[in-house]
Amino acid sequence: MTLANVFTKTTRDRWKGMAIGSVTLAVLFLFGMSVYRDIDLSVYTDLPDVFRSMVNIPKDADVASLAYGAIYGSYGTMTLAGLALAMGAASIAGEERKGTIGLLLGNPKSRSTVLVSKTASMVFLTGLGALFLLGAGFVVPAMLDVSITGMHVGALIFHMFVISLFFGFLAVAIGAWTGSPGAASGATAGIMFISFIGAGLFPLVEGYENVAKAFPWYYFSGSQPVSNGVNWGHIGVLSAGVVLFAVVALIGINRRDLRGETVGATLVDRLRGNPITQKLANRLAGSARVSRIWVKTASEHQGLLLVTASVMFLFMGVMLGPMFTLIDDALAGMTDQFPEALVALFGGGDMGTPEGWYQIETFGMMAPIAVMVVTVAIGAGALAGEEERRTMGLLLANPIRRSTIVLHKVLAMTLYGVAVGVATFAGVAIGSLLGGLGMDMGNIAATSLLVTLVGVAFGALSLALGAAAGRVKVAIYGTVGIALILYVLNAFLPFNDTFAGYAKWSPFYYYLTSDPLVNGMNWGHGAILTGLTVGLVVSAVALFERRDLRQTG
Amino acid sequence: MTDQIAIQTEGLTKHYGDVEALVDLDLEIRPGEIFGFLGPNGAGKTTMIRTILDEIRPTKGRASILGLDSHERSVKIREHIGYVPGDLAMYPNLTGRDTLTYFSNLRGGVDWSYVDQLADRLDADLTKKVGDLSSGNRQKIGLIQAFMNRPEVLIMDEPSSGLDPLVQREFQTMMRQVAADGRTVFLSSHTLSEVQRVADRVGIIRLGKLVAVEGVSNLRSKGIRKVELFFDASVDGAVFESLPGVRDVAVANQHVTLSFSGHMETLLRVVTERYTLVDISTQEADLEEIFLTYYRDGDVAT
Repeated sequence: MTLANVFTKTTRDRWKGMAIGSVTLAVLFLFGMSVYRDIDLSVYTDLPDVFRSMVNIPKDADVASLAYGAIYGSYGTMTLAGLALAMGAASIAGEERKGTIGLLLGNPKSRSTVLVSKTASMVFLTGLGALFLLGAGFVVPAMLDVSITGMHVGALIFHMFVISLFFGFLAVAIGAWTGSPGAASGATAGIMFISFIGAGLFPLVEGYENVAKAFPWYYFSGSQPVSNGVNWGHIGVLSAGVVLFAVVALIGINRRDLRGETVGATLVDRLRGNPITQKLANRLAGSARVSRIWVKTASEHQGLLLVTASVMFLFMGVMLGPMFTLIDDALAGMTDQFPEALVALFGGGDMGTPEGWYQIETFGMMAPIAVMVVTVAIGAGALAGEEERRTMGLLLANPIRRSTIVLHKVLAMTLYGVAVGVATFAGVAIGSLLGGLGMDMGNIAATSLLVTLVGVAFGALSLALGAAAGRVKVAIYGTVGIALILYVLNAFLPFNDTFAGYAKWSPFYYYLTSDPLVNGMNWGHGAILTGLTVGLVVSAVALFERRDLRQTG
Repeated sequence: MTDQIAIQTEGLTKHYGDVEALVDLDLEIRPGEIFGFLGPNGAGKTTMIRTILDEIRPTKGRASILGLDSHERSVKIREHIGYVPGDLAMYPNLTGRDTLTYFSNLRGGVDWSYVDQLADRLDADLTKKVGDLSSGNRQKIGLIQAFMNRPEVLIMDEPSSGLDPLVQREFQTMMRQVAADGRTVFLSSHTLSEVQRVADRVGIIRLGKLVAVEGVSNLRSKGIRKVELFFDASVDGAVFESLPGVRDVAVANQHVTLSFSGHMETLLRVVTERYTLVDISTQEADLEEIFLTYYRDGDVAT
């Protein structure tokens, strides 16, 4: 039944993402609203206008409008629109990339029919997600006994739904013209992010308020739908966009040559094609890239490393230093007003000091996530990835041990983890210098080292899971799930006297508990994390040596 | 090294849970021969190859390549083999040359002039990304990869899939040259005509069991012939059916077709005693028919 037609198959392939996304948002909403209910909201009125405007919080915030604005208005809309644009980008371009479009169109269905079915599925699932959020938007305040009188929840959700479709259809249109799912999702996400910032910032700049109207996000949030109800004019603007993109997509898909299964061309590939730059590019991309297993593994993840390291360096490091000096007055004492548990979840620390600021903003959550993004991507793909892509057999036809392959992959993973750690260190160190915060360089280095070690340990876990199961998904979801549980345990167990000691079973305990940003390196903790990594790698080798290779993905 | 038995299996057995993918396989492949390994899809060909390459481990029994145990000495073995996996997959974002460089590096280097010669013979494009190649052109990269280190033993699982006839012929010549060097080719295939053209001996596998191992010429000589007979008058089909070695008799007035195994003289004597033979044509049965016969009979002894 679920394979009855293109619409139902697409829906079947995609509903899980939407379900996970909307449930997560509902939980976040519950969490947010219960936190807002318990704290003194004046901290928000003290925040700079820029911050408030960005996260959609009105000046005279009450509990409900804060929760709707901050959780639904920013994260929620980003997520819903993100899911829609992912579906939109994958619609036709995704099948082209996978090489399945020919098979699909071998059936008596026109390109237009396929496109319409796929986008209908996108609209349907986005609608379901919005309906779920609407339900949560009423149920949660009722559960928490928060008054929502005067709130137009339905209007907010309706605006969310329409802006999500706007970006979804934009992705469909770009995908329909280019046949590249990467271009479609990348360009659309970029446009969404810029429009989010633009619509948030320009209203604050005197004389340029109207520039905000150039950004689609303005037509979502500009009228404050949660306070003022549906703004039909703005909905009209967004709907016109949806219709325009749909028409553009239909024209595009019908006049273009379809692509076969393709490999994305990177910048280096283009340079290689150009006779002038060929020599240099060959040196970069050619024989050097395939000289050894670890080099090749590393080269496959360059893009990921570049993005992650830049974000950590620039946004999580350099920029936060000067920002602290701008807003430290508002921050001083702010942490006191948050529930202890919430602060612990972000790594703990006193936001009034530079160390506490960087701990909460950078090191608490973002830095371990950033290192893990890179190490788990390499670790999970290391063995399971080659098996699923069926290249492991060919690789192992060469005179090399299975353990050699594992160690090469571990080397690539560790180097990349270190690279993210170094970028974080450099960013925070420069941020501290620029802001004149006077943080201790050695302590920043120690914290960066510890976060690298904890990230590499989880990379090793994903490697071991991949070695045991031979499946990338098992390795990634297993690692993320285990890491999440261990992180939360380490954050909350210390509040309970009976169970406080069990926090030591979480690797995260050995990362920030010793307060390295203040106290410097804890070599004992570093040694424990290293030992954990070594143990996991050894078991990965043992598991992989013993096992039958899988034949297919 | 060439005086060693190239590939040997003793009671090689592989179970996947309750499924018996390979049952008590005994096989001995001599150096310098081209051995065809025939069987339909799912017969156990790939399982056998993956087992002797130590990708998967036998449930029972053992295998050796060039006298080395397939599990204990697998790394040493792989210095001397070339391998083309069935359903070949490679790294789509590498060019052909990058791919070959990678594997060459893992082997500690190869003779690049030989690689270029192979690429030339197969008409392979090494400058394009593997992911952008058609499946036949991708297969060529896989073949070069297997031949490029002049292996003692070449193990290939359905290697000619996707190759056009011209390239297939060149590939067959390459295999014959390997064998002429005293090196060994193990060729798994369900394409009977290909095996018939190049192989010295053929093993037939069915449901995980080795049904027969025969020399190709042997198989042919004991094989079935298709015989067409034309007479000057209508004949009685029963006369033919009673003859030993005759089957599948079809009579249409003066025209008879039948399958025959045995000495042609016995057939002709009986026929000419009774009727006037106007014309006769016989066709050498191809492996296809022999193969089908083995299938029909199930467990023909070797």
